[in-house]
Amino acid sequence: MTNKYYEFFCPVKVIAGKSALEHIPYELTGLAAKRPMIVTDKGVRAAGLLDPVIAACEESGLEIVSIYDDVPPDSSTTVVRDIAGIYRQEKCDSIIAVGGGSAIDTGKAVNILVSEGGDNIAKYSGAGIIKHPLKPFFVVPTTAGTGSEVTSVAVITDEAKGVKLPFTSSFLLPNAAIIDPRMTLTLPPHITAATAMDAMTHATEAFTCMAKNPLSDAYATAAVKKISHSLLHVMDNPKDTDGRLELAQASTMAGIAFSNSMVGLVHALGHATGAICHLPHGLCMSLYLPYVLEYNLEEIRAPLGELLLYLEGPEVYSATPSSRRAEASISALRKLRDQLYKRCQLPRTLKETGKVQEEQLDHIAEMALDDGSIMFNPKEVTLEDARAVLRRAWA
Amino acid sequence: MLAKRIQPMIFQARRLYVEMMFQVMGRALQAVSEVDDSVKNEARALPEGFLFEMMVMPDGPRLIVEHTGLGRFHFHGDSAPRPIDLSIQFKHIAHAFLVLSFQEKTSVAFANDRMLVDGDISYAVRMTRVLNRLESFILPKLIAQRAVKEYPANLHLPEKLISAARIYLKVATNFVETVRA
Repeated sequence: MTNKYYEFFCPVKVIAGKSALEHIPYELTGLAAKRPMIVTDKGVRAAGLLDPVIAACEESGLEIVSIYDDVPPDSSTTVVRDIAGIYRQEKCDSIIAVGGGSAIDTGKAVNILVSEGGDNIAKYSGAGIIKHPLKPFFVVPTTAGTGSEVTSVAVITDEAKGVKLPFTSSFLLPNAAIIDPRMTLTLPPHITAATAMDAMTHATEAFTCMAKNPLSDAYATAAVKKISHSLLHVMDNPKDTDGRLELAQASTMAGIAFSNSMVGLVHALGHATGAICHLPHGLCMSLYLPYVLEYNLEEIRAPLGELLLYLEGPEVYSATPSSRRAEASISALRKLRDQLYKRCQLPRTLKETGKVQEEQLDHIAEMALDDGSIMFNPKEVTLEDARAVLRRAWA
Repeated sequence: MLAKRIQPMIFQARRLYVEMMFQVMGRALQAVSEVDDSVKNEARALPEGFLFEMMVMPDGPRLIVEHTGLGRFHFHGDSAPRPIDLSIQFKHIAHAFLVLSFQEKTSVAFANDRMLVDGDISYAVRMTRVLNRLESFILPKLIAQRAVKEYPANLHLPEKLISAARIYLKVATNFVETVRA
């Protein structure tokens, strides 16, 4: 008997497909919630994405009691406290987060305060602090990439101390994630590409890193297949609702996969690059993915080779000798990135971003080495290794 | 029937082994921070007075070390003078035994959800590197390869032997001093 052991947990009800938003009133009623508050950002509101959510609720006689639409890209403890204040003042009983990673994380943090009490979210920071179920919480993602709708983590900036506070608890998971293709139809091409590559990286790292397990593997491979099939099609046909739904579902599936098997060096480098050079997360993922896979190659040859089936389909997979499949998977990802560059100039190297200085590479390497994701990378990464990957990703 | 009678003794032996290993590891952490420059460099990034704990949940054996500055650790035994800054917690004594008897690598134990981190995750990553470095020094290569994700390629036999001898000597001295005290 081997020592192999794993855990898998995802209690989020996924409500996906055509007219999914119209299920919100029924689902809220099922949790005895009658006075929901929407947490979102100005971009989502300006794009008209709240309208179908509100219309879906009002048509069923469910009033949205309050809308907070000023969530910043990096949400803070002050914002969370203010929203919790409005929630209490308006006597709301549930939260619907509509947006990308920041709005969703803010919704999770507000839910902690309004459920557990108090005004200081910082005291709930850390792992396993929250011991009770929270108020009804729904998530409507408006990007297809972060997977935040199925992760038990939120990150909020403490402005006073200048640090990012992590919150981890299975109680942060929403009761339901509503995946409606209408919410991602208007995403601009470069965000569609970057967020889909974020999901692709979640799935690829979930499938190749140390905490992989049979259940997360199933979600990861399905996500890779959906993204490979649909991404370029959606780039060429942005109004295709079926393609948009495929990407949105892939993002959720990749989220389920990586929240149960973690990620590796791509994320460690991406987090450090984001913090130092302020590059969007999805862009960093797309940029580093092939270089890190090349670095990890000998440790992940078998699972990476297996991914070729989902990246390129059965014909290419069967025509490729098994000893070359891992390299062919990396080539497939490079080819996908080249196509995305052609369509929306999604950078493939650090130099192409125009926002990274070569002198910053050492700092990025040092910071990446202390990132939690690096623990799950299949290869032990030294400072020199991280520098070497960054040099390859430079140009 | 016999198995039922033996079982409590096995549990007791396992607990004693984990307790003993924590005692050795705590002292060895102090010693390696006096011997190895790369451990000192790793530890320097920790705040002065930083308290690190490795323990078995809910209230089992534990080791506590403090970063006293300049990359040096001080072993406090199993009681902390102040609240702990970073705690790595095994969920069960059986999981601690798997890791401390080198049946499961520390990194694999993290990946397998055998352990929890309470505190700053970046410090936990750093302390894991320190523990790996320590194990690479004090264990025979064949056993160390079972304990760490990757045995350091640049750690050659002469350096390993000399460092291990110095660490074991310091650990033994510390044990004797503790007994005398």
